[in-house]
Amino acid sequence: MNDMTPETASQNPKRSRLAKWSRRGFIGAGVLAGGGLLIGIGVRPGNPIGDLAPKVAGGDGEELINSWVKIDADNIVTAIVPHCEMGQGAHSVLGQMLADELDADWSKVRVMQAPADGSYVVSDTARMFIAPFTLNAADWIEPTYDGLFKQMAHAADALITGGSSSIRSTGQYSMRIAGAAARKMLKGAAAESWEVDPVEIETRDSMLIHKASGKSAPYSEFASAAAEQDMDQTPTLKKASEFRLMGKSKPRTDIPAKINGTAEFGIDAAPEGLNLTYAAVIRPPVPGTTALSMDASKAKTMRGVLKILNMENFIAVVAESYWHAQQAVNTIEVEWSEPESPIKTMQDQFDAFAAKLDEAGDTGGLEAAGKGDVPSVLDDAAKTFDAEYKVPYLAHAPMEPLNCTASVGDGQCEIWTSTQVPLMARSEVASALDLSTDDVIIHHPFLGGAFGRRLAAEYVSMAARLAKETGYPVKMIWSREEDTQKAFYRNADTCRMRGGVDGVGKLVAFDSLFTQRHDPAQACVPAMYDIANTSIRVAEADLHLPFQAWRSVDHSHQGWFIESFIDEAAHAAGADPVEFRLGMLGKSPRHAAALKKVAEISNWGDKGGKGNAKGVAIVESFGTIVAEVIEVDMRSGKPKLTNCWAVCDAGFVMNPDGFRNQIEGGIIFGLTAAMYGGLDLKDGAIVQSNFHDYKMLRMNEVPDIKVALINSGDVPVGGAGEPGLPPAAPALTNAIFAATGKRLRELPIAKQFA
Amino acid sequence: MHYKTILAASLTTLALAACGSSGDYEVKEKIDVAEPGQASDGGSSSGGGDILAAGEAAFAVCSGCHSADNGSPSQAGPNLYGVFGRKAGSLDDFSYSEAMTGSGITWDEASLDAYLADPAGNVEGTQMVAGAIPDADTRKAVIAYLKSLSE
Repeated sequence: MNDMTPETASQNPKRSRLAKWSRRGFIGAGVLAGGGLLIGIGVRPGNPIGDLAPKVAGGDGEELINSWVKIDADNIVTAIVPHCEMGQGAHSVLGQMLADELDADWSKVRVMQAPADGSYVVSDTARMFIAPFTLNAADWIEPTYDGLFKQMAHAADALITGGSSSIRSTGQYSMRIAGAAARKMLKGAAAESWEVDPVEIETRDSMLIHKASGKSAPYSEFASAAAEQDMDQTPTLKKASEFRLMGKSKPRTDIPAKINGTAEFGIDAAPEGLNLTYAAVIRPPVPGTTALSMDASKAKTMRGVLKILNMENFIAVVAESYWHAQQAVNTIEVEWSEPESPIKTMQDQFDAFAAKLDEAGDTGGLEAAGKGDVPSVLDDAAKTFDAEYKVPYLAHAPMEPLNCTASVGDGQCEIWTSTQVPLMARSEVASALDLSTDDVIIHHPFLGGAFGRRLAAEYVSMAARLAKETGYPVKMIWSREEDTQKAFYRNADTCRMRGGVDGVGKLVAFDSLFTQRHDPAQACVPAMYDIANTSIRVAEADLHLPFQAWRSVDHSHQGWFIESFIDEAAHAAGADPVEFRLGMLGKSPRHAAALKKVAEISNWGDKGGKGNAKGVAIVESFGTIVAEVIEVDMRSGKPKLTNCWAVCDAGFVMNPDGFRNQIEGGIIFGLTAAMYGGLDLKDGAIVQSNFHDYKMLRMNEVPDIKVALINSGDVPVGGAGEPGLPPAAPALTNAIFAATGKRLRELPIAKQFA
Repeated sequence: MHYKTILAASLTTLALAACGSSGDYEVKEKIDVAEPGQASDGGSSSGGGDILAAGEAAFAVCSGCHSADNGSPSQAGPNLYGVFGRKAGSLDDFSYSEAMTGSGITWDEASLDAYLADPAGNVEGTQMVAGAIPDADTRKAVIAYLKSLSE
């Protein structure tokens, strides 16, 4: 890794333009050098100082004090963040959190992406994925858990950006602590030099100030000396009343480059010194099949074509340009192996779900959660009702096409790609090429959207195999059709629910049975509602299309199942949907407050004119409670979405503008799926191919969205990227029911009004 | 009880994401067509029509200033019908720069290629300040098209 050639080193200034940084870039070009001081030591027990030091501190005069902060000679503070930037704004807000605890001058704060290296594993993120229930473990237990989870995170390659976790895990547990620890060490160093008591030293705008003696100095002056200070493992963090940057809508640091066009995404990769070739691919149309043979007689006569390969799990043409490659690959006839899956159509898939649900019946299946005695309470209930809901498969459809640039040589592989999981990608490439992970270097620039799609890294090893096989540096780009039809998907599912109300209209029994349970494990449990008897059961069924987490994952369908059924229960009980829910939220005051507020700002009591109605839903996901009201106008016979109000309680919102943007994005993503999202199967292959038949909600179809925030305070901070999504679909279908009396139990909506 | 279920379910997700490695797949067939820089341009026997079509399509940009019809008057730039084999700066109905009339060029593949790649750099003082064709393949196609017009 360190035996780089001078030629490689000279390429590095270009790579550093994004203020992102690879180990080689740093060492070679001195991006962080030039008199700068790197501060880098683990602030958490279990963060291996010894492992990190040689990797991040390259040049003279650089020392490590903690692994997330750098203060250079110009007094610029750099936050080194272990998350990808895919439009969610996490980089910027993590910088804000660090800078606030450090009392840094925000105009002199930069954000840099940590290299894809195991030492930057986000153990808190891993913990959220692996065992959410430990998050509020007592402080004394933290080191043990941290050690454990760091091990597990390593094993699972968890340098992950997902789970709406950047702010609530890395921000809260790494950035703030790092900033506070660094500030304390700077004060300690200045106090020794000035021979004063450290408590008399104030910090503000990256300056150390001692009023009594009139002394002051920029942080950079004591940055080296600070490295000699003892580091406080549990520095005192600021109280909310002391925040200067947290809770403020600071402009995002990544926006200017995205406006002026200088931002580089994975697909922009143009490493200097590499004479790139381009690959276009065909993947198996039916999952699990492989290419037995190909007829490339036309392709091999076509312009620009260099190599044509049957890689078994895909076909590729490598050519002088992407256009040449795609034109040529389009002419190849492939014979695929026989699919093992018996499923040819969506009807087959839903029949397979139904068979499992029938088998589980009223009491079978694996119990995910439950209390009381649902069967006997249902028997005695004043009124019972049931419903069956169906959701389709969904594609992620990120705007930036899937792509990966790979170069193989000298026993190493270098990769440039947009990924949410750089370390997992590294492991996949190492495995595919039979290399050690140390010999795989991953550069991961901005992501042009991901929504979960880039949690899978199969495309990365595909490009690596092509680079190895051809001997050329290869930029592989999937066509939109390939990504729509041959990727990973949000699962389809069928959910059967039963409920019973007592004589006074209270929901006393709730039973739910479905076939898919992925993540988060508690998404299927309506825990906020006080229902005496519940049973939540899974009758596992195989999926024809491979699963990958899709924005909000299980909440995306469970939110719709649960909140649709609660609405049906309200109707069965003859109650107002808001009042009915409030009646069950006695033990969930934050949820009740959010619901009351959304009723207030949406003027819920005003039922509107004929054909015009509102629907409500509330879902807690990724630590954030979101209550939404959607107003729909049905006068044309088709749903027109007029207004959406959302009230969110994330405990504390670090950057209100960024948070609102994420909630609005989640709502639009959720409404898009609810209105149009759905994949059909023919002969086991996906029918939809591109945006003409896999539609997005257009600007003129988006309702007017108003987002209100509640900072309820002393609770763990919640996420932003996903929680806006789950309530959107049920609020919409509940509004359509209120307007028309038609209860929608299948998605998407639009085709039911065609 | 629930602890185990939750842990197992979540680990599945991580494991799922981690699998799908392509280490198990083999290269079943590999056709070597060309090395970089040596790839086919579409061929002259079967692809001649293609390159002319590509040249005509690319000439759409040029036609903002240049007519390519036999007998049409020159516009902002000289008429290019018959330009192949013609002496530079030789049409009567166009007022050329001194640089062009004095260039001594007779237009052929090589001179057109050099000029179209960088007009102002190739004939310093030319009036043609826009319209460079940076892509070699596109130049080749446009030149083939121009050549076809002179027959």
